[in-house]
Amino acid sequence: MTSENKKRWGMVIETRRCIDCKACMVACEIENQVPLGKHRNWVGQIGPTGTFPTLGLRFEPGNCMHCENPPCERVCPTGATYQREDGIVLIDYDKCIGCRYCMQACPYDARYFDQARGVVDKCTFCVHRLDAGQPPACVETCVGGARHYGDLNDPNSEVSKLLATNEHTVIYEEAGTEPKVFYIS
Amino acid sequence: METFEWGILVVNYLFLAGVSAGAFAISSFATYIGGPHFRRVARIGALIAPWPVAVGVGLLVLDLGRPLAFWHLFLTVQYTSPMSIGSWLLTGFIGLSLVYAALWVPAPFDHLLRVPTRVQDVLHFTRWRLLAPQTIRRARAILAALGFPLSLGVGIYTGILLGAVPSRPFWNTPMLAQLFLFSAMSTGTATVLLVTALIGARHADGLEEERRLLISSDVVLIVLEIFMLIPFLLHHALSTWSSASSIELILGGEYTLWFWIGVILLGILLPLAIEAYELFPVILKEGAARYSLALSAASGVLVLVGGFILRLVFVYAGQASHFLPVVAR
Repeated sequence: MTSENKKRWGMVIETRRCIDCKACMVACEIENQVPLGKHRNWVGQIGPTGTFPTLGLRFEPGNCMHCENPPCERVCPTGATYQREDGIVLIDYDKCIGCRYCMQACPYDARYFDQARGVVDKCTFCVHRLDAGQPPACVETCVGGARHYGDLNDPNSEVSKLLATNEHTVIYEEAGTEPKVFYIS
Repeated sequence: METFEWGILVVNYLFLAGVSAGAFAISSFATYIGGPHFRRVARIGALIAPWPVAVGVGLLVLDLGRPLAFWHLFLTVQYTSPMSIGSWLLTGFIGLSLVYAALWVPAPFDHLLRVPTRVQDVLHFTRWRLLAPQTIRRARAILAALGFPLSLGVGIYTGILLGAVPSRPFWNTPMLAQLFLFSAMSTGTATVLLVTALIGARHADGLEEERRLLISSDVVLIVLEIFMLIPFLLHHALSTWSSASSIELILGGEYTLWFWIGVILLGILLPLAIEAYELFPVILKEGAARYSLALSAASGVLVLVGGFILRLVFVYAGQASHFLPVVAR
């Protein structure tokens, strides 16, 4: 078995490099033809915090966390939401009946309902690009270099090196979802 | 008000499934405690049971993004998904309760209970014979026994569907399942009470026992609901940040009036007071239960209104609750 088969795709986001330009959102929406008004990724805003003159403002970009232990997959009544061998959480649009139970279960509010197609959709980690050897659209376009992607199982990947040398967190760690999007602030 | 993914159709479905579960359960209960006095309760409960849930499931299918793809539910059993288990449970319950209802269809409409007695009669409907009374009674008893756990399952499933979602702190407590179960049983019993009151009775024989059964069952169920609501409020209020904040939705937040006036006052305290008033002479051993069409209809309608608002509040408030902190996007 080659190491190819043991890939575990993950993302590292350096929030200090995010300038809230939202290019990642635009790139995603064009790349994935996201319906108008819906988003597969976002830029959250934390703050302003503190009191003048020691104020702080931080941006927290995000998207589907591709959890190792995805609550959306667990509640899906038809098995439409599934986890690929490389850890990416995807939706089989033929099996999705649009019950939106997964949207109740996702603590990250990462999913949206596509009214026109009658199915739930979300970030796919740009699998179509990954499988062609390209980075996800949001990573490629990020002007501040805040978004990184790579194989978490490969110690020489960019993400593994960043995680090995920086303090990092995940969102709602206590929920036990084991997200594969990590944050360095 | 925020817009939520699950709206009024889901509220209706949870309510209607509960009414059916409760109607079946009280019918089954009446069948087993037996006696001619409870025959009417068993029959009315049985005849009501399949229909509300059937309408509710119809609404649920309409609520899907792809209603015509609903059959994907029945190609699989996802044992970690309450909705998957629930779909199979509802199908079994509706099927069983339809047969059970047919067994209670009164003469002269009981043609459903005609069966061919010989193979060569299968195509000659006029030669079909009515099932023997003994057979019908036995079939009712068997289906009542098989259906009773199914009806409890349907009742509790409506709560588990919401309660098993950790990312909605308002829902995520084991009390929710019991609360929805007892509320389901209560709304089903209230429906039977309402129908018996509206139909009236041709003769007074056994009416006293029938009323006492329905009213005292409902009193017990309402008290059980209170026993679930108090720990629900306390546990949330004394729990973690996300959980304690979520309960503020009904303790000063957006759903406070709906909860305290709709659920607690209209759905619990008022009907409990009316039913207690009706039962007082019995409790004090001073005579028969006080009874009037107005009292029974009022308590029945109040329980149903309260049961509906209960589901409304929980479906909406639950979706307004999140893990904290929520980062503004």
